[in-house]
Amino acid sequence: MTFIVPIGPQHPALKEPVYFRFETKGEEIVNLDVRLGYVHRGIERAMQERSYLHNIYLSERICGICNVGHTTTYCQAIEQLAGIEVPDRARFIRTILCELERIHSHLLWAGIAAHEIGFDTLFMLFWRDRELVLDLKEMISGNRQMSASNTLGGVRRDVKPEHVPKILRTLDKLEKETKHYINLCISDRTILARCAGVGVLPKSDAKKLCAAGPTARASGVDFDIRRDDPYEAYDEISFDVITRPDGDVFARVVVRLLEILESIKISRQAVKALPKGPLRVKITPKIEPNEAVARVEMPRGELLYYAVSNGTDKPERVRIRTPTYANIPTFGPMFVGGTIAEIPIVVASIDPCIACTDRVALVDSHTDKTRIVSLRELGRRKG
Amino acid sequence: MKANEVAKVIKKYVNKVKIVKERRVFATTDKKRCRAALLALKQRGVQHLLTISGVDRGNAITVVYHLDCNPVLLSLKFNLPKGKPNVRTVTDIFPGAILYEREQMEMLGIKVEGHPDPSRLFLPDDWPAEVYPLRKEVKK
Repeated sequence: MTFIVPIGPQHPALKEPVYFRFETKGEEIVNLDVRLGYVHRGIERAMQERSYLHNIYLSERICGICNVGHTTTYCQAIEQLAGIEVPDRARFIRTILCELERIHSHLLWAGIAAHEIGFDTLFMLFWRDRELVLDLKEMISGNRQMSASNTLGGVRRDVKPEHVPKILRTLDKLEKETKHYINLCISDRTILARCAGVGVLPKSDAKKLCAAGPTARASGVDFDIRRDDPYEAYDEISFDVITRPDGDVFARVVVRLLEILESIKISRQAVKALPKGPLRVKITPKIEPNEAVARVEMPRGELLYYAVSNGTDKPERVRIRTPTYANIPTFGPMFVGGTIAEIPIVVASIDPCIACTDRVALVDSHTDKTRIVSLRELGRRKG
Repeated sequence: MKANEVAKVIKKYVNKVKIVKERRVFATTDKKRCRAALLALKQRGVQHLLTISGVDRGNAITVVYHLDCNPVLLSLKFNLPKGKPNVRTVTDIFPGAILYEREQMEMLGIKVEGHPDPSRLFLPDDWPAEVYPLRKEVKK
């Protein structure tokens, strides 16, 4: 006989509203359903009714953590529609901002993961060092979080020469701290006991279910948009793509922490190689009928924007596929066969951003008994 | 696959291939041949369906499959008449399509035949039937 354990939409273990319905046999999870839609805002539809310029601010507000990623992808899509090239200096500044965002997002995630396994001291330390990155973001863009730096045709704010030494100094400090955390995480018995061998996503499932980002890379899928489909300045910068073959939560921890080091490497190169020149080019408010796809490697994985123009100053359609949306189906193989105690850390391990995922439709405000999203077909028993 | 290789693989099944730049290919096909094109790509090792988009074009709905043909991104599209927007599921070819097809069903009213779980994904249960939020005729 199975027992139903409902978790959410509001639950102390969840940071954003999402509803899980776990079917358990004793301690073991045998099946699960996920229900999305608690933070729907209808952004895709709203974009069709606003101008290209206005939509930058809308896309920025899809997700607080990855706001630079969203605006970068949106601006790339619209620039492709209009057929304009962004100046070199703007490409590098966008790259720096994207990487700073990745560092802060991974540190934020690592803190939350530490909190989920009850290691709150580590949570405090990760978030203390995250402040260093936020200070850099504030210095460059004027804001700690919502940078509002990207605009159609370039960026709005410059990285000034006097910023460069401070950026390099902070990156050095962060590198030292991150190396310390990596040593700590791979040797600490608590972390190993809670993360190793837990929530395994085999490589075959990651490929089959089209997983994205660090979740896929921790399952051995060697794929990173920054290397495989380079945008902005990534083709002029050298870095490694981090993969791990194990597919468990521990592998996802290690991949993200090592990615912080790579991001530091990228930011450092971009700051040093910052070319001179203008920050932006002009773009016409109306765009002839065209279509474009832009994709960016965000902290959580690949973000894709598909934009269609129709000759007016408003897009015909903007379609957004966020990384968490792509990773939701992977919950099936991760949970089934695991135990109830693993739920918080496994949910956290894909670094879910529900606000990103739920942006598609209109506001949902009800509670009901029936389940809506079934991942049963995806939930395979392990072994 | 490179852009011209992708174009060669799908050539038989499409009306028009547009290589926009090195890693962006757009192709137009029809409902009947789309499945054959997807199968041909799958045979060449394409496993990653990035997403499925739907665009309301007034009297037709354009369905776009975005496929990662590492490193090329192929957007394969075809039109469905609004009066009869039926299409066969691709979850048997790309299991990752499961949520995207459900989104298509509730947001644009596309009838996906043979989908393993056609229930709602984002919209609430008491959302009126036959109201599809991303269709143009739906007003605020």
